[in-house]
Amino acid sequence: MDYSIRAANVEDCKDIARMIVELSEYEKVSEHVKVTQRDLEQDGFSKNPFFHGIVAEVPEQHKTKDGHTKIGYALYFYSYSSWSGRAVYMEDLYVMPEFRGKGIGKALMSKVAQLGLAAGCNQLNFTVLDWNKQSLDFYFSQGSVDVTTSMGYHVMRCEGEALEHLAQP
Amino acid sequence: MHFKVRPAAKEDCKEISRMIMELAVFEKMTDQVKITHEGFTVVGYALYFYIYSTWKGRSVFLEDLYVMEEFRGKGIGKGLMNKVAEVGKKKQCVRLQLSVLDWNTPSRDFYAAKGAQDLTASEGWHLLRFDGRDLDNLANEAPED
Repeated sequence: MDYSIRAANVEDCKDIARMIVELSEYEKVSEHVKVTQRDLEQDGFSKNPFFHGIVAEVPEQHKTKDGHTKIGYALYFYSYSSWSGRAVYMEDLYVMPEFRGKGIGKALMSKVAQLGLAAGCNQLNFTVLDWNKQSLDFYFSQGSVDVTTSMGYHVMRCEGEALEHLAQP
Repeated sequence: MHFKVRPAAKEDCKEISRMIMELAVFEKMTDQVKITHEGFTVVGYALYFYIYSTWKGRSVFLEDLYVMEEFRGKGIGKGLMNKVAEVGKKKQCVRLQLSVLDWNTPSRDFYAAKGAQDLTASEGWHLLRFDGRDLDNLANEAPED
């Protein structure tokens, strides 16, 4: 199938917002998506963006029944390891169900890796839910390692009231 | 003990570099430290950067939190973490994330006491990584622009 991958621009935020919700439904986690199209526009396309995006598009003749040609995306940002230096973190990787199995997810992830290397990064990091065997198999087949299993890293988070309390001067 | 917490300046990199290696010794990972480096009043540091949650928005990631051994138990680590949370709040961050090694009980207890949730234990999140040759191979397969 013919598709193209390109950098996201501010006009893509509507479709990215749509696909973020689709991805959250796939991940079945009891999170409510608070980020809106407008948040993405402000946070991703201002002078100091919090993230960058790439979008996978198909030509008009392959559009979905709802008329979408933007059928996948990856959202990433630069991070830092105090041990190995510049890194890139892939926050989201998503392809709409009817376009899976065609190499589009792999192409998106490869593009993030390529952009990361071009920026001098030594690592590409991301998280996956332990029950998501399909995704885990995909990532392992591409050569990633599970740093939680092998090194014992746990992901921790402070939010809500706990974070408010922590931020008291 | 009187102490103050302030933003790092470029001149602090030598001390930060020294403490990064001390932290790596604590975490038993000195072979992972690839960034080079090597007396003092700087006794602790926190290294953080901004990240993004596509569900909740702007967030801050606490990459390192370290206090030299002889200065622990005096509230300095907490002071550093408070400062990172405060800085994040000023930028409208709604989350503070970090990672901890599973065997590091004192640190896990420290963060739990501050209200941090262990998302690996509670929700099953695993951290995955591409580096070295695997990262190169992945990048080589990217489609032409």
